[in-house]
Formats: sequence, structure tokens, C-alpha cells
Amino acid sequence: MNIHTYEKTWLAVSMVLIVGFIATVTYGAVGPGIAMIDDDGGSIDPDTINDDERFNDPGVTHVGENEYEAAVVAQAWTYTPSEITVPANSTVTFYVTSRDVTHSFTVAGTNVNTMVVPGQISEMTVEFDEPGEYGILCNEYCGAYHHTMEGKLNVVPQDEFDLTELSTDASDEAQLGNQTTINTTVSNDMNYDLETTATLEIGDQQSLEQDVTVPAHGSETVEFAVDTTDLGTGDHDWTVTVDGHEESDTLTVTNATEGGDGDA
Amino acid sequence: MAMRNAYIDQFPKEARVIRAILWSSFLALTIGGTLGLIQGLHRTNVLRFIPSQDYYTVLTAHGVLLVITFTIFFLVGIFTWAVTTSLDRGVKDIRFTWGWYAIMMIGTLLVGVSILGGVVDQIPMNADVLYTFYSPFQAHPAFYVGFVLFVVGTWLAGFDWFRTWWAWKKDNPDERIPLPTFMALTTMLFWYLSSIGVAISILAFLLPWSLGIIDSVNPLLTRTLFWFFGHPVVYFWLMPAYMLWYTMLPKLSGGKLFSDPLARVVFVLFLILSTPVGIHHQYLDPGIAEGFKFIAMTNTMFLLLPSLLTAFTVVASMEHGARQRGGKGYLSWLKALPWRDPAFTGMALAGLMFAAGGFSGMINAGLSINYLVHNSWWVVGHFHLTVGTAAALTFMAASYWFIPQLTGKEIWNRSLGLVQVVLWFIGMTFMSNAMHRAGLFGMPRRTAEPQYQGFDFEPAVGTVAEIDAQVALGAALLTLSVYLFITNMVLTTIGGSTSDAIPDNTYAGTLSGPEDAPVIIDNLKLWTSIAVVLVIIAYSLPLASIIDAGGLFGPGIDPWKPSVVADPSLVLESVRGVMP
Repeated sequence: MNIHTYEKTWLAVSMVLIVGFIATVTYGAVGPGIAMIDDDGGSIDPDTINDDERFNDPGVTHVGENEYEAAVVAQAWTYTPSEITVPANSTVTFYVTSRDVTHSFTVAGTNVNTMVVPGQISEMTVEFDEPGEYGILCNEYCGAYHHTMEGKLNVVPQDEFDLTELSTDASDEAQLGNQTTINTTVSNDMNYDLETTATLEIGDQQSLEQDVTVPAHGSETVEFAVDTTDLGTGDHDWTVTVDGHEESDTLTVTNATEGGDGDA
Repeated sequence: MAMRNAYIDQFPKEARVIRAILWSSFLALTIGGTLGLIQGLHRTNVLRFIPSQDYYTVLTAHGVLLVITFTIFFLVGIFTWAVTTSLDRGVKDIRFTWGWYAIMMIGTLLVGVSILGGVVDQIPMNADVLYTFYSPFQAHPAFYVGFVLFVVGTWLAGFDWFRTWWAWKKDNPDERIPLPTFMALTTMLFWYLSSIGVAISILAFLLPWSLGIIDSVNPLLTRTLFWFFGHPVVYFWLMPAYMLWYTMLPKLSGGKLFSDPLARVVFVLFLILSTPVGIHHQYLDPGIAEGFKFIAMTNTMFLLLPSLLTAFTVVASMEHGARQRGGKGYLSWLKALPWRDPAFTGMALAGLMFAAGGFSGMINAGLSINYLVHNSWWVVGHFHLTVGTAAALTFMAASYWFIPQLTGKEIWNRSLGLVQVVLWFIGMTFMSNAMHRAGLFGMPRRTAEPQYQGFDFEPAVGTVAEIDAQVALGAALLTLSVYLFITNMVLTTIGGSTSDAIPDNTYAGTLSGPEDAPVIIDNLKLWTSIAVVLVIIAYSLPLASIIDAGGLFGPGIDPWKPSVVADPSLVLESVRGVMP
């Protein structure tokens, strides 16, 4: 075959370029260890998402010293949870699946980007070095309101991060002279025990404190006994505080004779 | 008076079919281009007259009309010209040619009407599924039937050209396949191979599913079968442009093609490598092992080779032409090229933009860096340089040469043609450059809104407003360019008078002819076999593992009909309902 010298040179340079591209991608995979989305996440029947151990309560979980897992469910046109908070200097493995059509889970302006195909679980491990705020968006068309599908990713300094959540069970009203309780359940999704103090402030006078130890990936209920005699009748705002997390509501104390008619 | 020897004089019957085909192509271009302007102005928030949820109907129509209808109609028209001209014989039976054109038209109408149902309440159909129609989106069955008919039409068109070639071969047993026919046949071979993917996806899964015969599909499987076809279709759009760059551009430059053997090598490489690369569209897909993605990446990188070789040959042929016209010096020969000819200038500018599109394509092909740009506006910028300029601008430019050949009439206004192709180049420079930049900081493709509620995009350079303004301006210039083109074509056809000055129907000669290429290059069976083997290597294991993990029909995936659109607040209510 008769090939002009210039063309042979061009051919050689082209081959060097192509082999160079393949070499850089290969180096990226084996050197710095840039991993691709692959089949590690496994498959899932979308109808069983609510029964799935990982996805029935999606969110962030602590699994190792600086290692976290985040489970996210995508569906038209929202992510659950829609706001994700992780600490800086951490390694987070995301598990994302879809309840309906194909979506993406994309952290805008970064290479954190995966397709979310129904029936599949996308698994992706990300290192977060610096604190910052990012938008999460869906970049695969998913129906008429596709453009509204977004979320938020907050990377916070490590000392501002915890996985503590409060939920409180308390009566709205009590009769004067009776005792009532405000029960706060403290949950801890870190993989070590949380030793802390829960504080209740109610009305102007009372401030109660209780030490509590919440087991790793568990929860503990703190019971505050409130003496209504000290408070007197009327509306009393209260707040339970644990490590900066707050729950608050109002307790109405009524006269015994009023029979609990509230504001009457 | 000299005898005119234009295509219409040589093959009057074929010229009629090709005219009809090209008009179908131009009509798709005009409608699709107009829809592009609506999108460009809407998503940049410059001018809005549709609700954002209808944006996706417009987008579906824009995609299907431009990347399927416009390009492929042009391809079948120009390949019919190429085969008949280079074999110097007409098609075997012109009724068969009209037949496959009619099938493609019926397919187009079915697809078009079902998409139109997305915005016209009187049509009880919907196909707001974009041109990729990923399940579990479910379109009306007419959409799938129309798509299949269109593809079957192209298969029959290919058969038409093959049997014309077989007949020629009987009469010319010892001759090399003429280059334009060689290009058409190799292109069709990879088209047959790759369109099997979409045929299986529709006929085995999506169509029976839309008819209620089966109740579930495997979304990853139909998606993978789509991309089995979806990347080769990119080369299907591009091959007519390549053929024109090889066979027409050297001639329009005033010279000859630099190398016939390497042109053949290029088309053989496309035949071999076009299909086993589709997984590079799925670098971000779960359920496909990294090794399979790596194989697709390697094949994709080698696909750069035929395009790089083309860049060399095209520039070398243009330089040869310029020197024949008296051009001198290292670069000043460029001035000797026929820049006043819209056919030449359009094709040359298209080639230049394709080089830029090739560079952004190399980024896309990079397995790891692709994570930064996947499904971003960058990708839209990329393919508006490739299919949207390398193919579209070459086709429009070539029409300034072909329409006189097919009608026997002079172009109504060649200066306007020159303005038109330059306007396309300018408009695309604005639009594509802005889209590429926007993708780098994360602005997504396929969305109706320029911004989100909870965060702002932060460009490293410039502003979002400036990028949006460039996209809107670019879209306006491009649409104006389409209108100038179509006006020129209409007035040429209905207003122009028959001219004896139409040049003869010929294509470029070669500096180094087919005799310099080993005969094995023309062995289509060999190259097809290699292509099949590479496809088996690239696809058998990924498909087996997708079916193994998710089942042939998926784990009970419910169809999602995009027509049933509720108010988003109601949808959020229902979301709360299904959450545990």
C-alpha cells in the first residue's frame, strides 16, 4: 500500500495520542484509584424499597472512623432525603436507587455524578476534604417537572457534625397539681456511644438536666417529670436541648375544675 | 450548445426520488430548527410562550426531527446519488426505491403525530420520551411502530444499493468498488449491525410492553440496547458528511482527493469500530462492570484514528486544490480557495468545527473525566458541533451543489447561500462555546429552567446571564440561517429557470487511486466478520450480566406514561404517601 510520508507521520502521531489517552485513563484508575460506577451496588425491585434495610430510612450513617454511608431514594421529582449533611475530611459511600424512572444523582460542578436506573443501586464513594455547600440536581429527563428535581449537600466542619436526632412525646396540657412528662428520644447514628446531657427549660423557673448515654446506631429516651404546681396555670413554652439540637412546644396547665377545657 | 450532463440528465427517475427525499429532509430541518429556537429562548428565559412542562415535548420533537429525520433522509438521498453516479447505472427498480421512501415517510408521520399529542389535546397520544425513549417511560405504541418502520425503510434502502452494486459487479468482475459506493456500502453494513440493537429493544420489549402484552421491562437492558444502536447512529449521520468531504470537497477546492486507499481504510475502521463502543454513553450507569466500560473506552479512543486521518486528507486535498488554483506559500495558499462558493465554504467551516467537536469528544470519551461533564450542557455543545455542524452544515452546503444537479436549475441566490453558511458558523460559535463552558460548572442538559431554587451555578469565568445570552443569540442566528437556506431552496425549485450551465455530475479524482490499495480492503465480508466479533466481545458479557442481575423483563418495573401529569404539589403529596 502506497502511503505518503507526511500521512505516515500523521498516522504515527495520531496513534501516540490515542495510546496516550488510554494510558492516562488507565493510570487514573490504578494510580490515584479513580473508581467508576459499576455493578457493586447490586439490583433491587423498586416495589421493595420501603422494606429494604438500607432504603427504608434513607439518610447518612456512620460506619467507620471517618467513613459514612448515605442512602438516597430518587423519584419524580424529589430526593429523599432532599438535604444531606456530611463532615469534611470524610469518605462517604452513596447508595442511590430510583422508585420510578431513570434519574441522576449529580452534585453540581463536581465529578460526583451517577445515573440512577430503576432496578439498580448506584454505589459511589466520595472523599470530602473541605467544608462547602453544593446543589444536587437530576440531569436525566424524568418527566414534566424534571427541572424541579433538586437537593442540597452540606459538607460541614468535623466539629460541627453529628448524627443526633431528637423526637419528643409530650402532652399539650395538664391539670394543675398533676405531674406530666416530656419524653425526648435521642437517636445516634454514629458508630460509637454518645454521652451527653439533655436539658429541659420550661416556663421561667424550671430547668432540668439529665445525663444520657445513647448507644451506637441506637436511641435512648429521656424522661423529664414536670411539676405543674410550680408552673401555675397558663401556657408554658418549653425547649429540650441536646448538643445544640432543640425540640420545643407549649404545655398548657389548667385548673382541675375546668376539666381540661384548655383556654376556656 | 454544449450538452449538459447533470445528474437529472443522466438519471431523471432517480433524481425525482432524491428530490422528494431531500425535501422531506429539509422540511424536518425547518421544523426541527424552529423548535430549537423555542427551546433556546425558553431555557435561557429570554422569551417564553410555552409552560416549562411542554418544553420536553418540544425537545423530543427537536431531537427526533433533526438527528433522525433530517440527517437520515439526507443520507439515503445522497447515498442513492453516490451509488448510481459512481457505478454509472440506475437502481434496479425505481418502484422499490419509492417503496422504501414511502415506508420511511409513514414511520416519520407516526412518530411525529405521537409526539405532537404531547401538546395537542385532541390527539390522544403521547411520546414525551425524548429521542432516547428510556424505559420505564412508555410512549404510545405508534411511536415505536413508526420508529421501526423508519429503520426498516433504511434497511431496504441499503438493499437497494447493494443489489445495484451486485448487478454492477457482474458486469465489471475485475474492477475495484468505486469509492463513493464503497463508502455507502461500508456505512450500511455497520448500520445493519447496530440497528439490530434498537430493533430488539423495540420489537421484543418496548412495543409489546406498550401494547400490554408484557407488563415489565428491564430498564438497564433496553437502555443498553438503545446505545448499542445510539452511538453508531452518530457515525451514520457523519458518514454522508465524510463522503462529501472526500468526494466533493477536493473537487470544489479545484483539485483531487489526496489518497483513495486511506479513504477506504477510514471507512473500514468505522465499519469495524462504530458499534462496540456504545457503552461509553453508559460510563455512569450502575449494573455494568468497570472492565466492560474500559473495553468501550479503548475502542472509542481508536475510533479517533479514522477521524484524525480524515482531518489530514481533507486539509491535504484542499491544499492541493488551492495550489492547482495558483496558491503559494506555507499558509497563504488558503487565500486561493474558492471562498465565494457556499458549497465549498460551508463544508470547509463544517470541517473546522468538527475538529473542535472532536476535541470535546475526546474529553467525553475519557472514562474518568467524563464524570465531570456527563449529561451536562457541555455534551449538548459537543453534539451541536458534530451532528449539528459537521453533518448539518455540510449537508446544507452540499445542497448548493446538489439541488442544481437534481433540478437542472441554478441556485436562486448564491451570495445569500454564502451568508447562510457563514451565519451558521457564527451562530454555532456563540451557542456551542457557551454550552461547553456551562457544562464545566455543572449546568445540566435536557432541562427547561436556567436555574434551580436552592443553589446558584458558579462559573469560574463570566456569568450565567452572559452564557444564557450567548446561547439565545446563537440559537437565533442558527434559526435565521435555516430560514435563509430553506428560502433559497424553495425559490430555486419553484422560481428558478432551467440552466445549461449546470456543471457535469462528477466527483473528485484521486492523486493516489484505488490501485494503490491492496485488494483485501474491498473484502466487505472480512471486515463485517471482524466487526461482528468485536461486537460480541464488547457486548455479550455486559448483556448477560444485565439479564442475570435484573431479569430479561426486569424486577416488576411499572410503566410511566409522561402524559399523566399532575400538579407538582399533588405529586409531592403522593411522594409522602409512599415514603415509609
